[in-house]
Amino acid sequence: MSRLVIEAVSRTFPGVGGGPPTRALEPTSLAIGDNDFICVLGPSGCGKSTLLRIVAGLDTPTTGRVLLDGAPVTGPGADRGMVFQSYTLFPWLTVTENICFGLREKGVAAAEQARLAAHYVGRVGLAGFERHYPKMLSGGMQQRTALARALANDPKILLLDEPFGALDNQTRSLMQELLMGIWEADRKTVLFVTHDIEEAIFMANRVAVMTARPGRIKTDLAIELPHPRHYTVKTSPEFSAYKARLTEELRAESIRAATMR
Amino acid sequence: MRPLVPVSTGVKLTLGVAFFVLFFAAWAVATLGGYVNRTFLADPLTMVAAGWRLLTIHGFSLDIGVTIWRVFGGFALAAAVGVPLGIAMGAYKPIEAFFEPFISFARYLPASGFIPLLILWAGIGEAEKLAVIFIGSFFQLVLMVAVTVGGTRRDLVEAAYTLGAKASGIVRRVLLPNSAPVIAETLRLVLGWAWTYVIVAELIGASSGIGHMITDSQALLDTGQIIFGIVVIGVIGLVTDYLFKGLNQWLFPWSLA
Repeated sequence: MSRLVIEAVSRTFPGVGGGPPTRALEPTSLAIGDNDFICVLGPSGCGKSTLLRIVAGLDTPTTGRVLLDGAPVTGPGADRGMVFQSYTLFPWLTVTENICFGLREKGVAAAEQARLAAHYVGRVGLAGFERHYPKMLSGGMQQRTALARALANDPKILLLDEPFGALDNQTRSLMQELLMGIWEADRKTVLFVTHDIEEAIFMANRVAVMTARPGRIKTDLAIELPHPRHYTVKTSPEFSAYKARLTEELRAESIRAATMR
Repeated sequence: MRPLVPVSTGVKLTLGVAFFVLFFAAWAVATLGGYVNRTFLADPLTMVAAGWRLLTIHGFSLDIGVTIWRVFGGFALAAAVGVPLGIAMGAYKPIEAFFEPFISFARYLPASGFIPLLILWAGIGEAEKLAVIFIGSFFQLVLMVAVTVGGTRRDLVEAAYTLGAKASGIVRRVLLPNSAPVIAETLRLVLGWAWTYVIVAELIGASSGIGHMITDSQALLDTGQIIFGIVVIGVIGLVTDYLFKGLNQWLFPWSLA
């Protein structure tokens, strides 16, 4: 059974200054099974972030609906954890307090909060930084804290909106391996949005390629690389074959996107 | 000098004190050197002597106390009502739509223009003085707090929603802590304005306070006393400003780190 079902979801934004409305997302359907790791890959501005925001409940679809475990999504909630591309740690809270934000909202006992925070601080490799404020952390450390904050809430599905997009290449690779390790251990259902082909292949069990705006899913490709995935898989022939295929798919859309405006 | 490069604490302190020294030196040269008529501008030594006389013979410390109480009383009233209202307006748009146009109108009404009216309503007692300060600071404060709270980063609010926060949680755990340092800075700014209003209020229909002493001294043509009164206000302002700054840094270490 599918954990998350996206049913013909579309989004049209009203026109600016009397202009015509913008169709950001064509009716899109996607089913995500339990323990799936799905990457939505698309050129910038294709509506992939809009799709993720609708799943998160931060935006409402113009048509269609999203079902989580069969129940329609009507707004944001703790059952769908999210990590954003921008740094969204609460600057007035320490690393530990940030991780405990959702737990406090749920009314989890203080001792249990401390235990979970310590556990996730360890999982994302931030031991020793528990009492640091976000401003004292590098971008990669902030995103690791954001990941721990989302995981500590134990959501049914983890939504990731280009979470490593603002990081440098080396940090991004390490973050991908970190997330891969966490996923291989927990098999938490993940919906990951990115425009980075290598990232999509390395992380996902399935890659859904979106067209240029207005976006829709044009290809749904299963990635059959074995687990545990090591960073060396990126140089394997299988990886290269996937990369060649997805590069072609994405390139066509990027050209369309570039010639549209 | 290169743009935006910070200086060490020692250099900062020296430069800050240096301006005071230069200022008093220029004043001393102008007055003691005979370039300015002493009837219109007392020299620094005369001012200090006048100040000593005021404090030891005329009980000026009582006036200072009265003025400080009026400033903080009026300011506390304005903050006690203005900060919660500003937060409510910043957080909830219907509340903002209801109050904002009137407050934008009211903040242009000159507080000192209300003094004759307030004397008619409340007499020349403390209530009138507090009312002048309240009117002068309240409306500005409300608008600035509302803008601060309303300007909270949307992605922080969205992150809190995805962590399970509800409307009240968003206000208490995101909008409030996020805005607190800026609100504290706003209070510091508005307290400065309250000092202007208290002196204006005391120039008219008062029987005590620093402003009252200044008007009395004008009748006596004692510019030394007038300047001493102004300097006292400046010193109190400087001290409270630094206390406020220190308090803010202590309360909100995360906003500086």
